[in-house]
Amino acid sequence: MYPETPRMTTLMMNRRSDTADSAAFLAEYAALLLGCGATCIRTEKNTRRMAGALGYGVDMCIMPSHVYVWVWKGDNEQRDMAARKTAGGGISFHLNALLSRLSWEVADNHLDYHTAVKRFKSICETAPTGGREVLLLTSLANASFCRLFGGDVAAMVIVFVSTLLGYKLKQIMLEERCDVRLTFLCASFFSATFSAGGHIFGIGSTPEIALGTSVLYLIPGVPYMNAVSDMLYHHYLCAFSRFMDAAILTACLSAGLCAGMLILGMKWF
Amino acid sequence: MAAIGFSSISNAPRRAYLTCGLIAAIGHAIRYVLMLPDWLGMHIIAAGAIASFAIGVLAVLLAPRIKCPAEVCFFPALLPMIPGMYAYRTVEALLSCLYYTHGDTFAYYFHQLAYNGLTCVFIVLSMVVGATIPVFLFKKLSFTATR
Repeated sequence: MYPETPRMTTLMMNRRSDTADSAAFLAEYAALLLGCGATCIRTEKNTRRMAGALGYGVDMCIMPSHVYVWVWKGDNEQRDMAARKTAGGGISFHLNALLSRLSWEVADNHLDYHTAVKRFKSICETAPTGGREVLLLTSLANASFCRLFGGDVAAMVIVFVSTLLGYKLKQIMLEERCDVRLTFLCASFFSATFSAGGHIFGIGSTPEIALGTSVLYLIPGVPYMNAVSDMLYHHYLCAFSRFMDAAILTACLSAGLCAGMLILGMKWF
Repeated sequence: MAAIGFSSISNAPRRAYLTCGLIAAIGHAIRYVLMLPDWLGMHIIAAGAIASFAIGVLAVLLAPRIKCPAEVCFFPALLPMIPGMYAYRTVEALLSCLYYTHGDTFAYYFHQLAYNGLTCVFIVLSMVVGATIPVFLFKKLSFTATR
C-alpha cells in the first residue's frame, strides 16, 4: 500500500471534475511517481501527457520534497494550483511502470477523469514485492557479487548469511519507522560485524572480499543515477538533493562498516 | 543472479527480472572482454563506460518489450559493475591513515586512499553517464516504453 492523502479521495471522487480537482489529482500523481524513484523528466512528461489528454494546460515545479502543479483550461485565465509532498514509500519500479502506463492509457484510450482517478487509486493499492522474496534474492545477489569480485565459496556463504541478517534488520527497522540513516548504519554494522568473523576465525582464503562485499546491498544506486539524469535535464536542485541523500546514506553505511571493523579490532591493514 | 536480486530490491516487476539479468550479463561480458590484457587491455574506467553505454542501449531497446521504463532494466544491470573492492580499499586506506599517522606508512596509505578513491569515483561516474546517455539520445523510444 502506498500513501494517499484523505484530501485526494474527497476532492477527486465526490465532486465534479474542475481545474482544482484535476490539479489535486495531477499533483498526487506526480508526487507518487517522483517518490517511487522516477526521474524529474519522466514525472514531468507523464504529468503533461495526462493533463493534455484530459484537456488541461499544465505547468509544474518539481522541488526535492514537494511537487507544485498549476492547471488551467482553455483561455488560461483561471489557474488552480496544488502542492503535494513527495511520497515516501521507497523506490518501486513496479509502481513507476504502472503509473507511466496509466499516463499512456489516458492519452491513447481517451480515459475520462473519473476513470483515470479510479485507475490511479487501484495503482496506489498495489502491494510491494514480498519481503521474504526480496530478502532471499538480495542475499543471493550479494553472494553473487562476492563471486564476481573473486571471493571463494566460504566468502560467498559468509556474504549470503550476513546480507540475510543485515537486510532483515533493515526491513524490521523500516517497518518500525526508524530513521533511514540510522537503519543503514545499523544494517551495515550488523553485516560487517558478522562477515568479519570470516577473517577472525580464518574461514576461507578471501575473507577481506567477504567483508568488503557484505555491505554493498545497501548502496543507494537509484538516487545516484537519478541525480545524473536530473542534472542532464537541468533539474539541478533535485539532482543535488538526490545526490546528497545518496551520499549521506553511503556515509552511514561506511560508518557502520568502519565501526564494525574498529570494534572487532581488525588491524590487518 | 546479482542483477535479478538487485532488481527485486527496487521492486521491479517480475517480468523484468530475466531481461535485467540478460542485460547485466552482456554488459559484464563486454567489460571483461575489453579489459583482457591480451586483447584490448583497456583500463577499467574506459571499459566500464563502454559496457555501461551498451547496457543503456540494450535497456532502451528491450524496455518496450516488457512494458517498463528503461531505468527499470539498466539500474540492476549496472550494479554488478560497481567497483566494490575499490570502495572497500578506499575505506580501508582511510582508516589506515587515521591509524598510522607518521612517516612513509602514512604516505603509502594516503596514496592508496587517493588512488582507490579516485578510481572508484570515476568508474561510478563513467558507468552512470554511459548508461544515461542512450536514454538521452533515444528520448522518444525511452519515454514510450510503457505505451
